Amino acid sequence: MKKLLNFSIYTFTVLMALTSCSEDFLDDPQPTQQVSENVVFGSVDGVEAFISGIIREGRGRFDGQSTSNLSSYYVARIWKGDDMMFLGTGFWKIDYDYTGRTADNMRPRFIWNFSYHMINQINNLINGVEASPALSDSEKAYYSAKGKALRGFYYFQLALEFSKAYSVDPSFPAGPIYTELTTEGKPMSSCQEMYDLIVSDLTFAVENLTSDRLGKSYVNKQVAAGILARVYLTMENWEGAAEMANLAYDNDLAGSFAPELYGDGFLDINNPEWLWGYDQTPDQWVSAHTPAAWTDILSPGMGLAPYKVGYMNVNFTNLFSATDIRNLFQIQNANVNNVRHMTTTKFWFDKENLDYPIIRKPEMVLIEAEAKFRQGPAFEAEAHDLLYYLQKNRDPNAVKSSNTGGDLEEEILLERRKELYGEIGVEWFDAKRLQRGIVRTSNHQIQMTIAPNDILFVMQVPESEYDANDNIDPSVNNDR
Amino acid sequence: MRGKITIVLLSFGLLLTQLVNAQERTISGVVKDVDGVPLPGASIVVQGKGTGVQTDFDGIYTIDVVVGDVLEFSYVGMQKQSITVGSSNRIDVVLQHGNELDEVVVVAYGSQTKKSLVGSISSLGAETIEGQQLTSVTQALQGTVSGVNVITSGGQPGANPTVRIRGVSSINANAGPLYVVDGVPFNGNLNAISPDQIESMNVLKDASSTALYGSRGANGVILITTKRGKFNSNLQVTATAVTGFSSPAVELHEAEGAEDYLRHFWEARRNTFQYIDGQSAEQAGQNAANGIIDELGYNPYNVVQPIDGNGNIVAGAQLLWDTDWKDALMNRSALRNEYSLGIQGGGDSYSYFVSLNYLDQEGAMRNSDFQRVSTRVNIDSKLKDWLTFGLNTAITTSRSNNPTQSGNAMGNPIGWAYNVASIYPIYRRDPTGAYVLDAVGNRLYDYGDNGTEVNGSRPLNGNYNAVGMLFDDKNIDKNTNIITNGFMDIRFTDFLSFKTNISYENFLFDGYAYSNPFGGFGEGLGGRVIQNRNITTTLNINNNLRFSKTFGDHTVNANVIFETYKYKTDPMGATGTDFLGDISVLNGAATPTNVSGYIGEERLTSYLGRVGYNYKNKYFIEGSFRRDGSTKFASDQRWGNFFSIGGSWVISDENLLKDNPTIDLLKLRASYGELGNNSGFGLFPYLQGYTTGVSNLENKGVLLGSVTDPRLTWETTAITDIGLDFGFLNNRLQGTIGYFNKESIDLIYAKPLPGSTGNLSITTNIGSIRNYGWEFELNADIIRSDKLIWLAGINLSQVNNEITELTQESVIRGNKRLEEGRSIFDFYMREWAGVDPEDGYGMWFYDILDAEGKPTGERGTTKTFADAGRYYAGSSLPDITGGFKTSLQLGNFDFHTLFIFSFGGKVYDSNYAQLSAGYKGIGSPNGVGIGTDRWQKPGDITDVPLYLFASNQFNGQSTRFLFDNDYIRMRAITLGYTLPKTILNDIFINDVRFYLRGDNLFTWQSHKGIDPEQSLEGVTDNRSPQLKTISLGVNLKF
Repeated sequence: MKKLLNFSIYTFTVLMALTSCSEDFLDDPQPTQQVSENVVFGSVDGVEAFISGIIREGRGRFDGQSTSNLSSYYVARIWKGDDMMFLGTGFWKIDYDYTGRTADNMRPRFIWNFSYHMINQINNLINGVEASPALSDSEKAYYSAKGKALRGFYYFQLALEFSKAYSVDPSFPAGPIYTELTTEGKPMSSCQEMYDLIVSDLTFAVENLTSDRLGKSYVNKQVAAGILARVYLTMENWEGAAEMANLAYDNDLAGSFAPELYGDGFLDINNPEWLWGYDQTPDQWVSAHTPAAWTDILSPGMGLAPYKVGYMNVNFTNLFSATDIRNLFQIQNANVNNVRHMTTTKFWFDKENLDYPIIRKPEMVLIEAEAKFRQGPAFEAEAHDLLYYLQKNRDPNAVKSSNTGGDLEEEILLERRKELYGEIGVEWFDAKRLQRGIVRTSNHQIQMTIAPNDILFVMQVPESEYDANDNIDPSVNNDR
Repeated sequence: MRGKITIVLLSFGLLLTQLVNAQERTISGVVKDVDGVPLPGASIVVQGKGTGVQTDFDGIYTIDVVVGDVLEFSYVGMQKQSITVGSSNRIDVVLQHGNELDEVVVVAYGSQTKKSLVGSISSLGAETIEGQQLTSVTQALQGTVSGVNVITSGGQPGANPTVRIRGVSSINANAGPLYVVDGVPFNGNLNAISPDQIESMNVLKDASSTALYGSRGANGVILITTKRGKFNSNLQVTATAVTGFSSPAVELHEAEGAEDYLRHFWEARRNTFQYIDGQSAEQAGQNAANGIIDELGYNPYNVVQPIDGNGNIVAGAQLLWDTDWKDALMNRSALRNEYSLGIQGGGDSYSYFVSLNYLDQEGAMRNSDFQRVSTRVNIDSKLKDWLTFGLNTAITTSRSNNPTQSGNAMGNPIGWAYNVASIYPIYRRDPTGAYVLDAVGNRLYDYGDNGTEVNGSRPLNGNYNAVGMLFDDKNIDKNTNIITNGFMDIRFTDFLSFKTNISYENFLFDGYAYSNPFGGFGEGLGGRVIQNRNITTTLNINNNLRFSKTFGDHTVNANVIFETYKYKTDPMGATGTDFLGDISVLNGAATPTNVSGYIGEERLTSYLGRVGYNYKNKYFIEGSFRRDGSTKFASDQRWGNFFSIGGSWVISDENLLKDNPTIDLLKLRASYGELGNNSGFGLFPYLQGYTTGVSNLENKGVLLGSVTDPRLTWETTAITDIGLDFGFLNNRLQGTIGYFNKESIDLIYAKPLPGSTGNLSITTNIGSIRNYGWEFELNADIIRSDKLIWLAGINLSQVNNEITELTQESVIRGNKRLEEGRSIFDFYMREWAGVDPEDGYGMWFYDILDAEGKPTGERGTTKTFADAGRYYAGSSLPDITGGFKTSLQLGNFDFHTLFIFSFGGKVYDSNYAQLSAGYKGIGSPNGVGIGTDRWQKPGDITDVPLYLFASNQFNGQSTRFLFDNDYIRMRAITLGYTLPKTILNDIFINDVRFYLRGDNLFTWQSHKGIDPEQSLEGVTDNRSPQLKTISLGVNLKF
């Protein structure tokens, strides 16, 4: 019994000892791969790390292969046009045949969820920077301007896809606007409200940024101006578009072109023509989403890609003169009626260095040309000069046209297609904002005629949104 | 490590040497039951001396004694009998069927007699486990235990089945049970435990049984107890060898051959030209034929244009190949070999059990296999009357070739066979159709990316070839599991004892994946190697003070327990690409592309107690309590209290029934408790931090993590259990009827958020689910005589699932919709409305709305998939599941069989949907026979739409592909023969038994073409089927 008593005392002591330290025992484990708000907003380094994370996420893999990141916006738009043909069975087929815009589809769900995912991160950056005790007022303005440039960019994508063209109906419902973290779904805003935020964000960014940045995948003053130039083009603010485009390429025509690099496969962000893009390295690489993954027919296979399903419409390739450096077309199948007749070598699929251009300066030159042209006959000559500068750069044998008025307008728009095909979905962008349609010609597998302002230009709000958002119900799609 | 094992084994050798007392005399005899059936393994102990032996297979024993010794005969389920040794050298004993209720059952943190149980526990003994071919032991629960739903998905050997006890009570957290091996939570891979090590598997189903596991007990607990030697028993060696062949248990859907494909694809093209582009039938037919080979990229025929404008194969055209992808990928004669060796025995103060098991099994896919070596040493040592030490050590290593066998990845063989038509070859062909050979004359796998000429470029799944990848790639998983579990048991008095138990588990996962440079994931990268290693360690310390005392008619027992649990995971991964030649280790990588790793930890600290009281062994009442503190929740939320209370009443012990000749047992029991669930949602689910590791180029990067609920706390489930146990006719008929009701209180639930908020969901405590149902078990000894024994048993379970509270009106979850009053297994999808006879297009139903936008109740049909409404369409949860077993022993022959069945569940067969694509894309086949009566001309009344080479949703997710999934499966059948003793007289072997065994030999199913065991959600996923195995085995006992 004495043994028992001793033991009981011992046990009790041990139990008590263990109990008293159990809170410490439980407090000890901490996440090893997370940092707190204080670390992120406690220094310039922390804020820049957050910006790097946001830039990386923009080129990450959000969902599937055709729903990866911001390049997926553009690649989806490419297949909606006439100049290129998608011959695959999956992935972008729903974009090519326009069936993928409905509420149940992955395309609107991806554009919606990914854009808002990025916006949520950016909101947190902007609000964190503005509340940070560690940053000076000028640092706060500078870093929140970096955030606002990106926020403007992502809201602009939402406005483009989920509203009618701004010029058609500024009151058309656009997605909700968030500037702070919340778990409550907000109601739809109007297209006008969303553009107001976009313009305000980008204007702030242009004013408060400098040309400094950590690399060409980051934003700076010129990038913000480039995005704003596209926004103004959409809003038909021609004066603003011309000014911003000019700012984006620093009013430096000569420095905006590198014709000797045009045929190098669109691989390298260091190309001086590129204003903003994303920069991949073999160890930071998302496999297959850039245009090269789909349109590089002739390279040998490279692991997951290229998928080799993007071919050229011969009616379009015929528009290029033989001496045009952009005439990178190769016949793959001799039969001109074969869907696989014509290919392009504009994009090479090279995993070692496959970068992707989001904005190139030649686009800015063409925006300036178009925006000048649209300001009236007084500006036509100036517009025509800019156009010819680009044409001459691309084709040493180019001859300045005698076009004026509507013909010059068409010539500028055609030049945009020739310069930018396969990059940003230029046909769809122009057809939507200018209220033109899209007519498929030649031997497209899926022939379509999209009328101006066709509702096919507008995405439906995804099912997943109105299923969970008390402020949006399925009737939001009644007019889309 | 090998050295250590040797030392352990050597020390056993020493222990085995027993001293023999020459003055003693030897007596022998047979131990039988009342029916004359010999009792093997009955134990005979000399009272007071502690020496003892066990009977052999024929119930025979031999023991050295002196006159006057008292022998105590005992056997599980029989009444003990004591006999004083007299002059006779032979003592035969007949043991009376005892009260089965005195059997001891392993329960949470201890053991109890069956009679005293107030909760619902189902036990599975070694004989049931050994009667089946098990690679993962939990499979033995299927069809043998009521209230347990077991689904084995796919044919990869070593894969653990999904186990759910009494329904699914969690949506987002883990709904699987807690596994406890020899008293300690198990964190390794369950396939590390070989079946020959297991003494019993007990399924704890209700609150009173699992309450002591507190925050981990809500989904039930499975207690696995390994074998131990018995004190005072003879050395017994058991050796088993089993060899068998396996093939797929069911035939999967068949994809059509090359000729059918070509003709049907032509038809789809013609229909497109004719009905969409408005061409004449003749023109459309010609256009469909022209360019069809260009479209396909490949020509399996010996003529340039193999099909004409009428869709006929032209005269003289011969197929050069007709690939049967499925056949090329599946293993129809997989070999299985298993060997095991068990040694056990014990003396006065020690006992031991040693087991060694080797298994080598090939899988349903070629090149898939599982090899395992498992060892276990369990030692008990009685140092003093009051002090016992024990040590359980188990080391298991396994290695499996584990090619993808489900999902949509390009390399998944089943998905491939359903997606790529037979017109595409396995090996490369030149434009004339001849094989392309490498420098030494070998064929090359065709990865479908070889230039622009015909037979060069496959328009789908380019750069892949599932056959090539199955053989050229490697996917090897290795697991090493080491457990040491030691205890010390101190008996202070006959009513008070203390046990401390310390257990350490080290689990190493080593995954290796090599992708070849010729095609697939490694192409163009020069090959790719991904290695992942994860070291998981678990330390569990448990101190248990036990009290048990009877005061007259009153018995009180109690436990006070303190426990701490420490779990650590330390994964590390690396990827490298670009290798020279056939180098496939990371050192040879020209480009290291990725490294990853972190350390995660979870801790739990707990105070537990249990108090039981009974009056006259007739009325039992028991209460349990556990307080858990977990690192998974914020400090103000981390403590949770869990409890249960239960009681039972042995009605048959009441005077009224006590002497009733028919009724042996009637016991009513009931319990209620509230338990927790804390697994399945990450280590720090309450913290929203900034995630590291998203660097951009050389710049460090962080991102905001998902939104979290800092007030997140335990998921709690309230369980009510009522049961009636009965035994009639001298306990020849025994059974249990049970009712349960489980309701989650603070469901941990990923509440969907609008995507526009930037987060898709937030994990929070909200909503409630209820599972309720009935269980029934009946076992009968139909015939029991010394010549013939015939036993049979059946069990049935019925589980209902109901959402009782939800934060929003409804949540879409895959092809289900959550809604109050509905089950989480209710399908919700578009409803197929058949085919329009006018144009052959598929139709779906939609609700006709009134002026205010409310459904009028009427339905219309639409051909636009997006416009179709979605409707409830039955449940994947079966109405009834269960098993039936019977066994027969006649002379030296024995026969056992086990059937499992499931009725009333539905399955959405997406494989069938894929095979019903109707040629809307290039190069994907239809299934054989799917579409025989398709729409072909206006006016055709059919349910299969026209073939159309254009985007359509005819095979989109709808009730068209939802099928009843009833099945009966003969899980096991065994015929055994034991050699007569007379033959063995002169050799040292005691028992030899040969047996022929069949596993999954027969499957009846209402929907063919898939394995009926898919997933709880009733969704197929291009899974390989389970295996059926015929094997021959031999058991030897020395």
